[in-house]
Amino acid sequence: MAFNYDQYLRVEKMPTLWCWGCGDGVILKACIRAIEKMEWDMDKVCVVSGIGCSGRFSSYINCNTVHTTHGRTIAYATGVKLTRPDAHVIVVAGDGDALAIGGNHTIHGCRRNIDLNFILINNFIYGLTNSQISPTTPQGMWCVSAQNGNIDPTFDACKLAIGAGATFVARETMLDPKKLEKIFVKGFSHKGFSFMDIMSNCHINLGRKNKMASAMENLEWIDSITTPLKKWEALSPEEQMNKFPTGVLREVQQAEYCDMYDMVIAAAQGKRGKITQDDFAKKI
Amino acid sequence: MAREVISTGNQLSALAAFDVECMFFGGYPITPSSEVMHEMSDLLPTVGGKFIQMEDEIAGISVALGASMAGTKSMTATSGPGISLKAEQIGLAFIAEIPLVIVNVMRGGPSTGLPTRVSQADIGQAQYPTHGDYASITLCAGSLDECYTETVRGFNLAEQYMTPVFVLLDETVGHMHGKAVLPDLEEIKANIVRRKRYDGPKEDYKPYKAEMNEAAVLNPMFEGHRYHITGLHHGETGFPTEDAEQCQFNIARLVGKINTVAAENDGLDDLADYEEFMLDDDCDVVLIAYGSISRGAKEAVVKLRADGIKAGLFRPIMLWPSPAKRMKEIGDKYKNIFVTELNMGQYLKEIERVMGRSDFGTLHKANGRPIAPLEMVAKVKEMF
Amino acid sequence: MFKTINPGGVPVWVNTGNCKACDICVSVCPSGVLGMRYDATSTLGAMISIDHPEACIGCNECELTCPDFAIYVADKKDYKFAKLTDDAKERQIAIKANNYMSLDLVGVK
Repeated sequence: MAFNYDQYLRVEKMPTLWCWGCGDGVILKACIRAIEKMEWDMDKVCVVSGIGCSGRFSSYINCNTVHTTHGRTIAYATGVKLTRPDAHVIVVAGDGDALAIGGNHTIHGCRRNIDLNFILINNFIYGLTNSQISPTTPQGMWCVSAQNGNIDPTFDACKLAIGAGATFVARETMLDPKKLEKIFVKGFSHKGFSFMDIMSNCHINLGRKNKMASAMENLEWIDSITTPLKKWEALSPEEQMNKFPTGVLREVQQAEYCDMYDMVIAAAQGKRGKITQDDFAKKI
Repeated sequence: MAREVISTGNQLSALAAFDVECMFFGGYPITPSSEVMHEMSDLLPTVGGKFIQMEDEIAGISVALGASMAGTKSMTATSGPGISLKAEQIGLAFIAEIPLVIVNVMRGGPSTGLPTRVSQADIGQAQYPTHGDYASITLCAGSLDECYTETVRGFNLAEQYMTPVFVLLDETVGHMHGKAVLPDLEEIKANIVRRKRYDGPKEDYKPYKAEMNEAAVLNPMFEGHRYHITGLHHGETGFPTEDAEQCQFNIARLVGKINTVAAENDGLDDLADYEEFMLDDDCDVVLIAYGSISRGAKEAVVKLRADGIKAGLFRPIMLWPSPAKRMKEIGDKYKNIFVTELNMGQYLKEIERVMGRSDFGTLHKANGRPIAPLEMVAKVKEMF
Repeated sequence: MFKTINPGGVPVWVNTGNCKACDICVSVCPSGVLGMRYDATSTLGAMISIDHPEACIGCNECELTCPDFAIYVADKKDYKFAKLTDDAKERQIAIKANNYMSLDLVGVK
């Protein structure tokens, strides 16, 4: 038989409430396939989601799920993981949730290097609330809150994550679900904060208002603005400005937050000496 | 055996949390509550508990709620501006029925206000900290001992009623340094209330299936009971719903599990919801005061009696739900009632509502200074 | 309910209860196996149809790209898949040009 998605899904909640062709479903599927590859016990998995279409991700997956307020996913997930370091915590947020209202928490999640698997579903728009601009909506596109064209500059979520210190940063799109699954497996395997910027299509909101009304047209647009990292590095600066590199952009090993807190516990219980600057390579 | 300690209110609140086996603190520094956080930072890791100072107030409560959702007894502490910032997450705690103790060490407000000076101006906010319908449990400590005992009580109420609980200290009581007599530790431990668990077949588990006026039963995560927690209105399994009947039932249950239970049982637990000091049948005047102001009010009562006015004090301890039954009796029985608080009349409103009268003597101050007993004595004497 | 179990010796099968007629599976099939058909009671008035199962090469693209868990491909050890032919490729081009509708239908949804 085919892959048994049933055991990972809350089947009584299907079909999903996402629009036809919505990338969220493809990302959910790749995530499930990655969880199977990781051989995680679903009893030990927690999925935390925020507000937006991506927020409904947690409804469909059959494990411990939390649907929190707008932008605060990483903070709630930090509480779950810090108290239960043995659990596998997946955090799902949209581009508005993670980069606008939740920007601060995203920065500090990256900085702290707590072992969370952060999936940013970046569809370049606020979809659920009907097409307002998000921090990744390209300038010049039409949205309901920019009816003469969007003038707000965008930022590159992966650059933000790298700047904030995330130890695993990757970008993929849902054009190639096999690559997506591989990136998820890499991110899930990484011990530390894994930041995964997944570009997705919202043809119903962004697309319909910007000449890409079908899923395929929207996917073609995403294809045109992304290129694998090696190819991207060979481009000229002008060309680089208009393409996002995909693949693993940063992967380093660094002490994970829960492990570091174990040092605090050991110090407090007299099992080791006080923590000093000598315990860390980075002194600033 | 009772324990005598020399400490501050803030530290005692933290000690209480530690003694009832709170194993998580998440927060953000803010005067005058930071010492609660510092103390927890010190105490928790000694027993393997977890502490984290987050990047802002909102993250401070979110992380504590996340920990509580995972099944760990949690706490956060802040002051007025922090409660304002935390409002939306407090609402999530209410609707998703997540236990949490929120300590508010009150300072002058609104906004930045008077960061290092006392007030009692977050009473109204404690009743309605966020949008929507819900019922608040709010305790107010009036002494060093109570910084400890009311925090213990806050945790037990939070776990019993599956709700956030506000433990209000005012800056005076929070920073007061002196002797406290704490209850026997064995007794505290023997009476710790832990949230209920469902032990039946996993496939039949419905976390939010509860009778009217009862709390949800939320099992800890990662033990095989998989369910959904959301801030949306939800049905018995925790999944979002907009069903008219279900939503009405939910809200009625959320409000009723605290307000109706308090009204029907004359309180939410067996502990005192108020204190009466020299409140005899033949009192000429009843003072009503809570928190640090009640200490000065007791002095004022003694002085008034020495000056020939038979005064008594009624001191609410559980502010929300209010000790309405007793307050109504007092309102019906005594001709002269004098209300004094460090705000512009926030609890006065509740007293007026319950007693059905508005002919009180009052002394309200909101300039960050305490009210001296002699000030109260002078104002009470104006009533005669 | 889900049907992840092969109904019986087929290379690819559909859970019609989940299909929202987004066309993605039809667009990614290299082999012209799939097409959309009109269906008045389904989302967008259309439903996926497996028109040429014999041409299925088992590439799994449809299953992987379907956002709604509506289409499944048999396991390689349970079914002997076909090889990709030029005819199949041409048919796929025609299906795309026909707005992803099955070729015996007019391609306007």
